[in-house]
Order: sequence, then C-alpha cells, then structure tokens
Amino acid sequence: MLQLSDYSGISPKSDLQLISRLADKLSSKQFLHINSTKEGGGVAEILGRMTPLLSKLGIVVRWEVIQGDQRFFTITKKIHNSLQGLPEEFTDDMWKYHEAINEKNAKTLDLNADVVFIHDPQPVPLIKFRDKGLWIWRCHIDVANPVEEVWNRISAYAGKYDAAIFSVSKFAKQMPLDEFIITPTIDPLSEKNNDLTADEINEVASRFKIPLDKPIILQVSRFDRFKDPKGVIRAYRMVKKYNDCRLVLAGSSATDDPEGEAVIREVTEFAGSDPDIHILLLPAFRDKDINALQRMATVVLQKSLKEGFGLTVTEAMWKGKPVIGGNVGGIPTQIIDGVTGFLVNSEEGSAFRIRRILNNPDMASKMGENARQYVRNHFLITRQIRDYLFVWYAMLNKSKRVMEL
Amino acid sequence: MKPFIFKQCTNILKSAQRRAGTIKELLHGIKEVSDASIFHHTYKYFLKEHILEYTNDFSQWVGESLEEHTLAEHLSSVDPYDFTAVSALREEIVRVIDDYLAHFPEPRPAMKGNEFYFNESATIVFPTGIIAHNVAEFLQALKYVDSSSIYYHFYEGRIHGMHGPDDFSLWLKEDLNEKELSEKLVHIDPFMYDIEGMRRLIVQIVEQKVQKDMETL
Repeated sequence: MLQLSDYSGISPKSDLQLISRLADKLSSKQFLHINSTKEGGGVAEILGRMTPLLSKLGIVVRWEVIQGDQRFFTITKKIHNSLQGLPEEFTDDMWKYHEAINEKNAKTLDLNADVVFIHDPQPVPLIKFRDKGLWIWRCHIDVANPVEEVWNRISAYAGKYDAAIFSVSKFAKQMPLDEFIITPTIDPLSEKNNDLTADEINEVASRFKIPLDKPIILQVSRFDRFKDPKGVIRAYRMVKKYNDCRLVLAGSSATDDPEGEAVIREVTEFAGSDPDIHILLLPAFRDKDINALQRMATVVLQKSLKEGFGLTVTEAMWKGKPVIGGNVGGIPTQIIDGVTGFLVNSEEGSAFRIRRILNNPDMASKMGENARQYVRNHFLITRQIRDYLFVWYAMLNKSKRVMEL
Repeated sequence: MKPFIFKQCTNILKSAQRRAGTIKELLHGIKEVSDASIFHHTYKYFLKEHILEYTNDFSQWVGESLEEHTLAEHLSSVDPYDFTAVSALREEIVRVIDDYLAHFPEPRPAMKGNEFYFNESATIVFPTGIIAHNVAEFLQALKYVDSSSIYYHFYEGRIHGMHGPDDFSLWLKEDLNEKELSEKLVHIDPFMYDIEGMRRLIVQIVEQKVQKDMETL
C-alpha cells in the first residue's frame, strides 16, 4: 500500500510537507467521501489512492458509495449529460426518484463526520439529510454550459452546502457559498504514468505493429467527433508533404456508445490504405499500453473541439512530450502556448506546429522538459490531496485570507 | 543577529463568481470585486513559473483575448508595489482603462470561452525547515528552497514590510550589515524574470559576493 513518502523525489517537497502539516492539524478528525462507484473513472481512482494515504497520516477517512438501481443510474446519466450541455427529457417523477434513492441511502449510511465531501451530482441530494460537520460538494464535471433547468434543480441542492469545488474557473457558478477551484490530477505512480523500460515500450510497439523507424504523431482519445480525429488525419497529411512520419490514433472501442462505432468506421474509411496511419482500438484499462504509446511518440496531439480538462494532455506532458492541444476547455490551463506546448485553433495550425516540433528537436525537448515540470508543480495527485485538506482547513479558518502553519 | 528563516507559501484558488467578456465588463468587475481578487490578479501574478508578455492578469487578458495591445501595455506598466493599499491600485487600474476608452474605440468582445474569470486566493504560509545564519548558508539555501519560498520572500516580502524592500535585502542589510549586497538585490527589476530566472539571478549575485569574500585576506 502506498504512503506519502513514496512520492518523495517525484512530487514537490513543499506539497508533501504541507500535506503532513495539515494532517497533523486535522489528526483524528473524520473525513467522509461519498460518490457513486468504487471502480472506473478518475474520481474512484483518486479516492482509492487518497484514502489509505490519509489514514496513515492519522486522519479517520471513510469512503462510501451510494447504492441505486438501474433506473436511478439512468436518471443520473441523463443529469450528467445535461449538465455537460446535452438536452435530455426529464419528468417530475424522475427528480423525485433521484431524491428518494438518496433518502434511502441516507438511512443506511453513517453521514456523521467532521467534513463530508460529496462527489458529483448523483449523491448531491444527501445534503438534505446532513446532521453535523462541514459539507462540501465536489463537482468533477464540465458545467460551463449546462441545460439551465437541470442546473437549477442541482444547484437547489448545491446551494445548501458550505462550499463547492469545481475543476476550472469557467465551471464556477454564482451560488451563495465559497467556491474553490481544484484541477484534476494524474498519479505518477499508476500504471498509466510510471516509468517504463525501453524493452517494455518496444514490446508494445511490436504488438501493435508500429515500426519505430520515423517520428510518431499520437492522439489518444475516445473516438468521438469532439476529439476531431478526421481533423487530425488532415493535419497529418499536411505535415506528410514536408516530413515523413507516422500517425497513431488510439482510443477505446466504446462498445456502449453507438455513435463511437460510427466514428471509428468514418475514421478508418477516411484514413484509407495509408500504411503510416495506425488506428488502434484498445480495450478499457489498457493503461500500460497507453503509457508506452505516449512514451514512443515524438509529438502528442489533443486536437479537441470541446474538452473537459483533458487529462490525456497532462499524461503526455508528464512524459516530457511536446503537446499540441486545441484551445478549448481545460487545455489552456495546462498548455502555456510556446512554453509548455502549443495551443492551436485549426487543422492548419496543428500541422504547422507539428512541423515546427519535428524540425526543431532542441526546442521540442526544452518544451517537453517545461511541460513535465509544469505538471510536477500543478497536476500530480499529491497536489489534489493537499488541496482537499487545504479547503477543509480554510473552511475552519474562514476569516483568514492568509493562514500561518 | 537573527538567522534567516525560509518560509514558503501555497495558494488555493477561489472563484469570485464573476466573469467579463468585454472591456466594460472587465472595468465593472475591477470596480466591484473584493480587494482579495485585485490582489490575486496583480501581486500574485509573479507566482507564475513562466514570464508572459504582460505583467498582470488583466493586461494579459486584454492583450491575448481582446488583442488590444496598447491598453495591455498601459496596464502592464502599473507597478503594484507603488501602492500601499489595494484600493489605490484598483483606482489606478480603473483610471488607465477609463483613459483608454476616452481616446480609443472600444475593443471587440472576447471569443466565447475566452472570457476573464475573476478569482481570489487563500494562502497558507509555513516554514521550509531551512535556516541561514550567514551569506554562505543563505546562498546554499537559495539554490534549493521551493520556488514558492523565493516568491514569498522576494515579492510578497515587499508588502509585509509596508512596501519596503524584499525580505532578502532587508535581512542582508539589517542583520548581516551587507549593505552593498543588499543594494544589488534591491535594484533587480522584479518584472523581468520568472521565479526560476529570479532564483538564478539572486544566486549569481550572492555567489559573486561569497567568492569575493573567500578571496579576501
């Protein structure tokens, strides 16, 4: 089981020092997290890592999961989609059911703790059943342009919390409570991000039949039109006129997403018979393969037209790669144009930046170094743990803008 | 003689729950947001690891998102350390924008998604565990302390001392009687370096002094 000292020499020392100091202040206090799943997705991943780590530091941490049936999760999926801007049909009965299932969970869960973090909208109505402690709503999803009616329903609950946490500034809303901004993070010790040997990388390349004979342009993402895979192919073709290279498009097959399959068909057809384009359909949880693909790439693209935060950008930057990202969502939070990567607004811009990187290895290497350092300072899991404790401590010292420890 | 106790700081971002898409919305926001928000977008700007084109968040947004470079230049030349109160800094920023709008046509709005988001920050200050008793120890510490420690002492230190010099210069002068070295640090242009660049520069200046002392009989 991992402990804080395993991150020594990887995460900034100041983050580890502050986690220890805050844990001392909050020692023996109860920290309760509630979300809707123990497995899959970034929220479960961070809670899985954070819970034992904080326990070892003396905080009494519990992680509970709300139980629901298929109807409940169909409703919460629709809520999730609508908060991200996709209109869905709702009836009053559905909202009543959402709250009723939360009420049922409130009767079986022990909600008593010094601080309670409720993650995402599925368990947000639990606030109605609070007894004591600080209650903080942690919203992980992109709520920049939600369907208004759905946001109004959710914010009626969210407004009752003591504080809320959003992932980037543009997701914050006008509500009568403190709102903190905490970006998502990656775990440098997970299979997706830990160091790999040259043999391990070569094994993945040969398994996917990718010769390492020329520079590789890579985009890792779901096959989704918002990730603009055809735009990536067009940019690659513009580059190919000047620089010989390969293009690797890797993503999960998304069997539960009918549109995903249509996109894969379109992309495969559009790629035609070019032997230098590799379209890889990866089963879920092939983290080591993704890690190896990112490490073998010369330049990584995330040419999204719409994006939440874009953790694939963070992952590639952590591997010291120059990343070219669409100027959307959370990507500009990570890429400082020309310093930690390039921001682009068009296929032509992507092609031009790829050519610059392929023809300037020194600049590319400096950019990759900057990128890794930037991720180290801002987007590692230890920073997120630090920030959760920071919010808790700040809420206990609300009158102070500057706190001395 | 007091030793130098290196402290570091960590900030967490809080939303001020307000955005601006046009120069007039920015102006209204600047007039109405909290002092903490003005402080965050001006003084805290120096915490950024990489030096950008302009020297505070307002001028950076006006230059990058509104592409109004003249106004961005004017806003960049406002030096927050010239003011002893945030309210006076706020008035100066408002005056610069008002003056611009009186003489030039209004810039176009920002593209959707590129609006300015007003934030604030909460700060925790805590010791690094590193203490220097003389210039040689000070030099060694400067090389390895967290970059937030350089920020805290070299930039925010100017505000702790009622807008006097930074913490480093003050300690060198008052506690070590190193007036010449102190003066050299006082004369560094704080706007022209990112934090790591600033660390390199201070180290270089202090190292020259240590070398000179080592060679003196």
